[in-house]
Amino acid sequence: MKQSVFPSKVLPYILLLPTFIILIIFLFYPAFETFRLSFYKVNPYTNATKFAGLYNFKKVFFNPDYGHSFGISILFSLLVVMLGIIISLALSVLLNQNFKGAKIYRTLMIWPYALSPAIAGALFNFLFNPANGIICFFSGNYTWLTSGNSAFIVVALAATWKNLGYNIVFYLTALRNVPSDSLEAAAIDGAGSVKRFFKITLAYISPTTFFLFVMNTTYAYFASFGLIDVLTEGGPVDSTNILIYQLYKDFFVNSRIGYAAAESLVLFCIVVLITVVQFKTTGKKVHYQ
Amino acid sequence: MKKFLVLLLLSAMIVGNLFAGGQDEKEMAKAVEVDESAPVTIQFWHAMSGDRIDLIQSIVDKFVAENPNITVEVQYAGSYNDTLNKVKSAYKAGNAPAIFHSYEIGTLGMINSGLVSPVDELADKFNQSIDWDNFFVPVEGYYKYQGQHYSMPFNSSTPLLYYNKTLFEKAGLDPDNPPETYSEVIEAAKALKASGIEKPVTWNLHGWYFEEMIALQDAPFANNDNGRGSELPTEVLFNNEEGKKVFDWWIGMYNDGLFNDVGPGWSNHRAAFGSGEAAIILSSSSDVNLLTKALNEKGWEMGTGFIPHPEGSDGGVAIGGGSLWITNQLTEEQQLAAVKLVKYIANDESQKAWHKGTGYFPVTKSAMDSLDSEGWFEENPNYKTAFDQLLVSPGTLNSSGALLGVFPETREIVQSAIQECYQGKDTQEALDEAAKEVNDLITEWNELIQL
Repeated sequence: MKQSVFPSKVLPYILLLPTFIILIIFLFYPAFETFRLSFYKVNPYTNATKFAGLYNFKKVFFNPDYGHSFGISILFSLLVVMLGIIISLALSVLLNQNFKGAKIYRTLMIWPYALSPAIAGALFNFLFNPANGIICFFSGNYTWLTSGNSAFIVVALAATWKNLGYNIVFYLTALRNVPSDSLEAAAIDGAGSVKRFFKITLAYISPTTFFLFVMNTTYAYFASFGLIDVLTEGGPVDSTNILIYQLYKDFFVNSRIGYAAAESLVLFCIVVLITVVQFKTTGKKVHYQ
Repeated sequence: MKKFLVLLLLSAMIVGNLFAGGQDEKEMAKAVEVDESAPVTIQFWHAMSGDRIDLIQSIVDKFVAENPNITVEVQYAGSYNDTLNKVKSAYKAGNAPAIFHSYEIGTLGMINSGLVSPVDELADKFNQSIDWDNFFVPVEGYYKYQGQHYSMPFNSSTPLLYYNKTLFEKAGLDPDNPPETYSEVIEAAKALKASGIEKPVTWNLHGWYFEEMIALQDAPFANNDNGRGSELPTEVLFNNEEGKKVFDWWIGMYNDGLFNDVGPGWSNHRAAFGSGEAAIILSSSSDVNLLTKALNEKGWEMGTGFIPHPEGSDGGVAIGGGSLWITNQLTEEQQLAAVKLVKYIANDESQKAWHKGTGYFPVTKSAMDSLDSEGWFEENPNYKTAFDQLLVSPGTLNSSGALLGVFPETREIVQSAIQECYQGKDTQEALDEAAKEVNDLITEWNELIQL
């Protein structure tokens, strides 16, 4: 097939222009402002600024609470990513079978993704709230959300559950694209279903797994503050106060603009670093067809 | 010839002004003349969701019917924090709303923000007198800073003690006599526990209660006249003896298994009260309706009482809630319209409608008297308690409530300190550490606000 070519060199740029304008206004400009403001002291109301060098970064790094937040953020993202990927893969494999009502189940599984984090938080609050949560009642333990470790686990579970739908959509598509002749050939050679799954299916869907790895990491670091706000407000005693929640509070509630800008820059660097590491390590093991 | 006449006139005006001097001072302060019938449009951003959006709209509609030249664009702008952030951005772009709604703990910040004009200043400017004596002392006192009222009180509430009369009776307690002091609460809680309620006392984890309990002992929360002095506050004082009394009592009940920690937010303690798992709670006075209904559904009767205080203390309750601020980028016509609107929202008729629709108490004494003569309190006796609690508040600087620029963070830090104590930390140590953490933030804020 002959490749079509743009008649002039200008046209592609004109066609790209709308995208660039939107990216500049909503992505590059705010990112640049964040970068700039992290080096300033900023008046919380008038936004008047005064250059402060590394003042905000020093405050961030010398704050013992920040180190704590950093630690639990790593733990939180590990939990959310691992649980999210394992559970959604298992569910996707089940959903990929042919059984009565499969389509309905597939649709239902995607639902949690359509909920806003605040609603998801409210649902988990029904289950775990210390006054009369349903799970509290049946488990006899009323302190799920008011004692540190269990609050952390509940929040991580809620974040995992909330993102299952997203993962399942991608895994279902990937599983449907695993060529059936490879599986049949393996079956004829005498490979059992478990072996077929681990040796063949897993390899075919590895690009999706890697993609979800990266996306879930970003999700765990950036998108979970709504849940935390509804369930624990970062408590008890900062045990669920992950970096993004602290950042949200420092900017939107406490109006510490320069400090929040520094925090967000640090968080940004952490996530970039993690993603690069993922590409360098796991990324190499991915098998693309 | 013409030029000469103009010169003569000009010099006459200048000389005239020179000599008029002191005598005209009163004339200068006289109301600015504005064409009161010229059409004018103002924006009003508020932070009340749900049914309250329609209620505010209906109050504004009545105002517009009486002032046909004024058009008001009312908008719900999200939570108090959302509203404030939107106002800040709009202000930078030069299109801030004329009036916006902010929470009480944002008061010192707003005063120092450079975004607003004091309500008193504008009222004087246009001869729109505001009868501050008619406001409840704690309401008027809260929004007065350095002798001037900066914003118009709108939705006010205080904490209130709610108790389940039916469960009180079952436990052998007097259902018409709510516990008033710390030890009375403990005694009642023990009796309730003995009657089978596992953890009879609860309220949500919120710094507001702690602040009120310090005001109730007439003790300062912050230095420099509780943040109301001529200098900005530089440190908090809540780690004082009075603060420790509150912590010891609160944490003590938790340690004795009388108090149920239900975490932050506003739904869990209400739910526990509604299901009978708690028989004594603290909550906002605006919850009267909601909680009465919740208990009625179970066939229980609800009572209300004052916020408990230690034996022998004599402070008063400070108010919470929000007020209306007027921004300072307006034309004179808009300023006048804004003053008229905030006055209208604080008048008896609006405040009565607001009270009946939401449970916030009206901010003026005349509105309360008018409700009283309508027989409102005979039908709703529990609403009376909040007023009685207000009327006995002495209006000192301490009981007016503290002003701090970093109040939202202070609450977070105090709440965290309370949770540390639940986990076994010494109360004085937790208070001292919390105070130190807040003081560092205050130092930074005092510098930033002057940029």
